[in-house]
Amino acid sequence: MTKLLITEITRMGPAFCVIGLQREKDRIRSVRPVTATANSWMHFPYRRGDVLECDLAPFSGSKPHVEDRVSTRGFEKESAVPEPEVVTYLRKAEIASSLEDLFGCVLHENKTGSGLFAKPPEAKRSVCGTVTQNLRLELCANELRATLALPSGEVLRDLPVVDRDWRDFIEAALAIGRGTNRLARLERFLNSQFQSKVLSCPHHFIRLGLTRPYRDLCWLMLDTLIPLPRHDWLEEF
Amino acid sequence: MASIKDRSHWRRLVEECFRREAGAEAPISDPAQDLIETGVLDSMGWVSFLRALESASGLSELGARLTERTPSLESIFQVFSEADIPSAGAKFPEARHAATRAYVILRSSCAVVGSRTIPSNEIDRAFGMPEGKLRLRAGIESLAYATESENELTLGVRAAQQALHAAACGAQELDWIIATSETYSNYPSLSAQLHSQLLARETCGALDVGGACLGLLNGLAVAQGFIASGQARTIAVVTSDVHSRIFKPGRVAGEFGGLFGDGASAFLLRAKNDSTPQHAYALGEFFFGCAGQYAGAIRVSNATDGTLDVHFDGEALSRAAITRMEKVILDVELRSGLLRSSAQGLATHQPNPRLVTLLAKQLGLASDKFPSVARIFGNLGSSTCGVALDAILQSARSLYARRSGPIFLASLGPGLLFGGGWLIPA
Repeated sequence: MTKLLITEITRMGPAFCVIGLQREKDRIRSVRPVTATANSWMHFPYRRGDVLECDLAPFSGSKPHVEDRVSTRGFEKESAVPEPEVVTYLRKAEIASSLEDLFGCVLHENKTGSGLFAKPPEAKRSVCGTVTQNLRLELCANELRATLALPSGEVLRDLPVVDRDWRDFIEAALAIGRGTNRLARLERFLNSQFQSKVLSCPHHFIRLGLTRPYRDLCWLMLDTLIPLPRHDWLEEF
Repeated sequence: MASIKDRSHWRRLVEECFRREAGAEAPISDPAQDLIETGVLDSMGWVSFLRALESASGLSELGARLTERTPSLESIFQVFSEADIPSAGAKFPEARHAATRAYVILRSSCAVVGSRTIPSNEIDRAFGMPEGKLRLRAGIESLAYATESENELTLGVRAAQQALHAAACGAQELDWIIATSETYSNYPSLSAQLHSQLLARETCGALDVGGACLGLLNGLAVAQGFIASGQARTIAVVTSDVHSRIFKPGRVAGEFGGLFGDGASAFLLRAKNDSTPQHAYALGEFFFGCAGQYAGAIRVSNATDGTLDVHFDGEALSRAAITRMEKVILDVELRSGLLRSSAQGLATHQPNPRLVTLLAKQLGLASDKFPSVARIFGNLGSSTCGVALDAILQSARSLYARRSGPIFLASLGPGLLFGGGWLIPA
């Protein structure tokens, strides 16, 4: 029996990827439950901060997804911890303040367009937390992208935002039922209130992840942005 | 500002960026096709493609304008047709060439380097490094060092006077002196001192621009803006760098300090008129940016004990320099519609000769397209590009019978600042 504090729920396409924190003696480390047949979940009715009981079998996930563990039975919610406490635990797990330390390898620039990638054999892990000096979200042709500055001063651009809650929030903000000028209103929110709500939040924290290898490269993405968006923010714009 | 109505001007650009993302063999299918839904590109590839297009077209809000539209080539053409492109030119690329060609001519140039030539073995010894290290590791054979009587001002004045002389232009004709240096930190500033030494008229402006090794491109872009807007007709852009007094043994490590030499360059720019000489070059476009993911590769600051605090991750910087320079040169090609293989030469930043060789290889170009600056004189900071540009211009002038080709410019500065541009025969 393993207790897992759920810290990441990401969405790319129709499926969800989940990562949680597991305590091992004095150490807290990230663990990604996967099914025996897939890396993602089509249905995952839990939230970040939930503590789930599950059975995880060791699994030699290929680099850099060394956090993968096969879940051998369903999840059962045991309890939940508030968001600030989740961040307290995240700060004790994998954390870095510079580009090279994020995944223990050199990150490469995409020469033909945007994005950064790691070479799978070089990367030591696929998820890492960090604090940001600044962070901006924007919509680029319907795709949510993040640009952020690390404590080292290094800037990461055009990271796909795969955080389920933030993606749901953006979709809800653009829902037809919200009236006219939805895009302009959302952009105004992202350019103004977002700063005070997210960057001024005392437990502001992010986690960055690497995609599964695609054409032999793992691309950087923003897995988690805390604080998570609140539904009542939609009423403010 | 002119609307872009003719999609044929953009088709080449779109197709080139698309193929860079989707692969050289990728077919350009039905323009209305949803590129993501049909699996031609994934969402990351789509955004990457758009960012490349933004960079190539100068339409920086392309991605934002495509929100709530189908991810298709047709949507892109639609945005282009609705957009006002914020550039002096109109249609890309031919009309932009014509527009810039009408404005600014590079009338003359000159480069000078420090008068002392020091073999790299001597530099190795001075910095306490094994003999041969600079030559074997960086490809540096010698460095140009300033003599005791030389400094940024004397080298800059010499280059500027010779450039003025070559164009038979009196200093009183100058409307601006634009100076850049990564080593000069005194006041009055370098441009003010150049102003006095050259005896420019009192109403000639003096401006210092930064950017370290990118300084020349910054200066040329500023000068182009002044002339294109009608505020000036004649401008001298001067670079001057004396590293040998700052990056000294005991102050910085030899692996860093041993790379740099001293030099200066000057360029005289003029608004085009009927008397444009036969072998002159016109300034094309410039573009700039800052790739902050490489910000940690090099940092230099004054330490409290009077030494220099240098953070120099040579490996990371080399990687960054090659990757970004290649990207800038590909962007020059994309924006200008000029093939790099047709270039008379490439005046680029030269961190060290080894990297220049590697860059040439990556780009599939002969090494001799890049004038040997760093190999003989060392990295001259903002003057590296200037000395290289002057060398290419001199070689173009000597080819009387033959038609000279365009010149590509590309440079980097800490940050990582980057910039590119091109010159075309006027």
